[in-house]
Amino acid sequence: MKNNVLELRSLRKKFGALKATDDVSLEVEKGKIHALIGPNGAGKTTLISQIFGNLKPDSGDIFLDGKSITNTSVADRALLGIGRSFQISNVLMDFSVLENAIVAKISHSQETFRFFRPAFSDPSLIEGGFAILKRVGMEQMADRKVSDLAHGERRLLELALALAMEPLLVLLDEPMAGAGPEDTIFMTKVIAGLRGQTTILLIEHDMDVVFQLAERISVLVEGAVIASGTPDEISQNRLVREAYLGSDQ
Amino acid sequence: MVLDLFKKFTTLWIILIVLAFFPIFTSTFDLPFWNDVVMRIMLLGMAAMGLNIVFGFGGMVSFGHAAFMGVGAYCAGISQYYGLDNGWYQLLMSAVSCGILGILIGFLALRTSGIYFIMITLAFAQMLYFFFVSLEEFGGDDGLIMDRSDFIFFDLYEPLRLYYLIFFILATVSIMLMLLIRSRFGVILQAIKSNESRVEAMGLNPLKFKLTGYVISAIICGLSGCLFASWQEFVSPDIMHWTRSGDLMIIIILGGLTYLAGPLVGAIVFLLLEELLPDLLHVLFPPISENWMIIFGPLLIAVVLFGKGGLMGVMGSKLKTAANREKT
Repeated sequence: MKNNVLELRSLRKKFGALKATDDVSLEVEKGKIHALIGPNGAGKTTLISQIFGNLKPDSGDIFLDGKSITNTSVADRALLGIGRSFQISNVLMDFSVLENAIVAKISHSQETFRFFRPAFSDPSLIEGGFAILKRVGMEQMADRKVSDLAHGERRLLELALALAMEPLLVLLDEPMAGAGPEDTIFMTKVIAGLRGQTTILLIEHDMDVVFQLAERISVLVEGAVIASGTPDEISQNRLVREAYLGSDQ
Repeated sequence: MVLDLFKKFTTLWIILIVLAFFPIFTSTFDLPFWNDVVMRIMLLGMAAMGLNIVFGFGGMVSFGHAAFMGVGAYCAGISQYYGLDNGWYQLLMSAVSCGILGILIGFLALRTSGIYFIMITLAFAQMLYFFFVSLEEFGGDDGLIMDRSDFIFFDLYEPLRLYYLIFFILATVSIMLMLLIRSRFGVILQAIKSNESRVEAMGLNPLKFKLTGYVISAIICGLSGCLFASWQEFVSPDIMHWTRSGDLMIIIILGGLTYLAGPLVGAIVFLLLEELLPDLLHVLFPPISENWMIIFGPLLIAVVLFGKGGLMGVMGSKLKTAANREKT
């Protein structure tokens, strides 16, 4: 029996004459880290935006845990179980690290229309916030303002916010982008630690990271998936080597 | 928790306490005129605090909130025209009307953002303005003369009673807002201002929260307008002229839009300057005493340019540097 958290069926999206997504079918198995790679302009972010709901596909279907989510809104998909970290850090800049986590905790608790009790001093929310930070090892930085954080730390916080909703699927859009070598090593460790707990669709340029983390890799070229398989299969695939890794390798 | 609120919103509490005792000062020195000025400060300050829920805390630049003041004022005026001069009823009526209107306007306007939101809120306010201009029955352009409302347990013929009624409503609104700003709802509203797409990615629909904030702010402006009618003993479309929406925004920016007390500080400074500058200019340069805006405009620009966070921000940083100096 197949156990797919995410399934894409012949998804298509055109921008004018450009086929940004060209008949993409993809299955992401539960508990696996699935990487999506491809050269610049292959349509990776376009594809992830359709999965997350920012963009509507022209045709095709998206299934989350067996249910079609093709026509639901971004907020509803987040509730159904898709967490996302964006390509450009997307956190609450005017808040502290803990406050970011508390907002995530509030929204996860679904008790949002409360008008009187102060939120940031609520012990259960503080505890929940710390639990969220602990998963990425940020509890030491709880009181720091996000605007004072280093780039890599912001990326880590964003991962924590994506995980806070306890999603079925986490979309990580280039989590290492702009991070220094040390941050990359730490972040890789954190993501590896999530293996088995949650399903991850990872888009990443850093091939070392991809081959360290991924259990399955799909290769996107000019909007179409040209190959899918285990890291070994992908590195042996002649088509992939020509299109992407460079024919000299 | 009360102590906690006191520590967090010191400026607002100090202003409220001063306002509570202000009439003692005016009666001792026989300056009843100043009660009148301070009532106006409280009314516009309250409306500006209401607007600041969307403007400062929600990041939505609404350029039409005077319309809600106008609707509140007409709720009082029209009720009285038909003989319903119970003030409690009029306040309830203003809150309900502005709440419903806030839902309708907000639901449409909040689909847009940025400059389009500014324009669409202004357009709705202008529609309401001309709607009341066209109501010949209620005086049209010339407005409606009315008596102060009757509050059953007391009437408002004694100016001090009106003063303390306004003060009571202002204090109630202030305390509610202190709680609201720090509640889960308030935190999410500020999170939306900080980063709407992140809040959406957390599974929350920003529109719901923005609309709720918009309706709350509309109701507060409506209450202010309803009391404004009693204070003025007169209602006309003038109360909802677009320049008043502008005044409310200036008051907020002057006082500091990220602070709860900001709009109240702004109203105090704005209206005191409006009151005092002409007199001052009359003594110094009689030819321009009519045009006190010549001084006021540059003053406002200076606060915006050099005082990050308005007057509250300037006061805050001054206090901080003073405290740091004491430490070293």
